[in-house]
Amino acid sequence: MSAAREMLCDTARAVFAEAATAGIAPVEEAGFSLLLVPEEQGGFGGDWGDANAVLQIAGVLAPDLPVAELIAVEALQPAATVSMMAGAMGQALALSIEHVNTRQQFGRPLGKFQAVQQSLAVMACEVRAVEAAAAALAARLDTVGLDATAADLEIAAAKLRANRAVGVVTAIAHQVHGAIGFTEEYDLNRVTIPLMRWRTAHGNDAYWAQRLGRQVAGLGGRGLWEAMTARGA
Amino acid sequence: MQGFALYPFDPPGDIAALRADLRSWLAVNQPQGDVVARANCWASFDADFSHALGAAGYVGMTLPKRYGGGDRHPLERYVVIEELLAAGAPVGAHWIADRQTGPLILRYGSEEQRQRYLPGIAKGELYACIGLSEPGAGSDLAGVRTTARETAEGWRINGQKIWTTGAHFSHIMLALVRTEEGSERNAGLSQLLIDLDTPGIAILPIIDMAGHHDFNEVFFDDVLVPHGALVGERGQGWKQVTAELGLERSGPERYLSSHALFVALIDAAGPEPAPAIATLIGELAAEMWTLRQLSMSTAAKLAAGEDPMVEASVVKELGNAFEQDMPRRVQAIVDCGWGDEDDLAKLLRALLIASPSFSLRGGTREVIRGIIARGLGLR
Ligand SMILES: Cc1cc2nc3c(=O)[nH]c(=O)nc-3n(C[C@H](O)[C@H](O)[C@H](O)COP(=O)(O)OP(=O)(O)OC[C@H]3O[C@@H](n4cnc5c(N)ncnc54)[C@H](O)[C@@H]3O)c2cc1C
Repeated sequence: MSAAREMLCDTARAVFAEAATAGIAPVEEAGFSLLLVPEEQGGFGGDWGDANAVLQIAGVLAPDLPVAELIAVEALQPAATVSMMAGAMGQALALSIEHVNTRQQFGRPLGKFQAVQQSLAVMACEVRAVEAAAAALAARLDTVGLDATAADLEIAAAKLRANRAVGVVTAIAHQVHGAIGFTEEYDLNRVTIPLMRWRTAHGNDAYWAQRLGRQVAGLGGRGLWEAMTARGA
Repeated sequence: MQGFALYPFDPPGDIAALRADLRSWLAVNQPQGDVVARANCWASFDADFSHALGAAGYVGMTLPKRYGGGDRHPLERYVVIEELLAAGAPVGAHWIADRQTGPLILRYGSEEQRQRYLPGIAKGELYACIGLSEPGAGSDLAGVRTTARETAEGWRINGQKIWTTGAHFSHIMLALVRTEEGSERNAGLSQLLIDLDTPGIAILPIIDMAGHHDFNEVFFDDVLVPHGALVGERGQGWKQVTAELGLERSGPERYLSSHALFVALIDAAGPEPAPAIATLIGELAAEMWTLRQLSMSTAAKLAAGEDPMVEASVVKELGNAFEQDMPRRVQAIVDCGWGDEDDLAKLLRALLIASPSFSLRGGTREVIRGIIARGLGLR
């Protein structure tokens, strides 16, 4: 990560930690709505790689706030939501790992049971997939100058992939937590409820699958491969 | 495991030109016949094709020129491999030699072994098999019992390997054997490079449930190989094998085994598919796109000299699930009889039958998840 992005992330962590209790005001005051605005227009001049990093932090710390809407124009809000989802899923995984390493049953930590290990491995794969999708979408958007139409395939693929991960990630996170994860007090619901909400936001699975499916049908079988390779590496 | 950042996939040279050259070469040289051979095509044996591919410079690409290789960057090889698999090219004959055995000989082998084996591998003419599994050592590979004892004349090998893909057409086997008497588990193991025409070796076919002869039982009855057959260090076999498996788990072959079926599905659906088919195509495309990003990132990390053991396992786990689910999901939705003879039906049947093996070969699903769990700090 570049030094500039690292500084940006440090700021984001501080601001979103505050915003988690204070609401969106600190985020607005810190100028995050200017993140993607060019420097000539008085903005921060960030790229989508920066936005992805900031939005993931928002997804971890303040997933209830409308940060995607604050940072991105409408056509890019599905992309922004994918980044928030990646952050929230990473947090659900982190909470789950911490919990199973601490909670003891049958005389040992839950994480020592193979069934629990295998569940968390499944969950981790989903989280990595969404993180990869968010990062690859960011790379595409930066290549095409944040043009949502030129990234239509990637936006649809990444949002659909993230939507489909929600079911697996929320189910396993809650399962390994037991009853404590079902309480209002414990942190897990602060990411799992937003994840459930985001699955519908800016298009549910059916919407994106149809949209992507028709696009791909138009390309043809061989054409899909040619399009994928022409659009990146 | 820290949050995942995509490792930049940045091969040197003109990658678009490399793809275009290979695509034109395939248009002329790829056998047009059997559509089923295009599915799971890294198991399709065609020595003529491998030979021609080698002559065109697409085998042994990363090996040094002095051993007949192409001195190309690993990511250039990656691009070539994904093109071959996406086209359904029959790369099975040289597959293991090119992917694993060649790089392993280069890394751990003696100068003599390199000169002897690498040029043939790069030509697409010398084939290799992997001698790991035994009847009592499957997932629990440290249970290897085949022994090799050092004598004045060389190594004397006794024991049995099983599930050895391609042993019947391979020239060499890279075998994991127990070289220290009384050693247990992963200590005392070494790798030997065995010429398969050595007396005392019996190779017996095992026919798989698709009716194919891909894998074998291999018996060693007092087989004598020279001292120079040892690869790398005596007693370091376990470490070397683990490194070898890293090369095996994250390539494009982990999500492209069923690609021919996806192509056929899209073509059969036409430009304006029914909603249910469009949905399926969209879901499969999203998964494939994501897997490609994960696989490329892992390849880039490998190429940079890092050890992405966990990422590689994630690619294998998600990739196997994808290529295994695809035929089942296609079957659930397309109108296609078991005995139909159109391309889609033939591919579907072949892949439904072949796909249970996808999450077994190269490490079972449960073992792979165990590796990921270790990466998460749970073991
Ligand atoms: C098509 C194909 C090609 C192959 N090619 C080769 C080859 O070229 N060379 C070679 O050496 N081998 C090869 N193999 C063998 C392959 O590596 C083994 O099949 C694999 O390692 C599993 O071993 P096993 O079949 O003995 O199953 P087992 O080890 O008996 O496992 C059976 C089931 O139990 C599960 N299991 C086992 N142990 C545990 C555990 N501790 N916890 C949870 N679950 C567990 C497994 O995951 C699996 O689901 C090939 C296999 C196939 C299917």
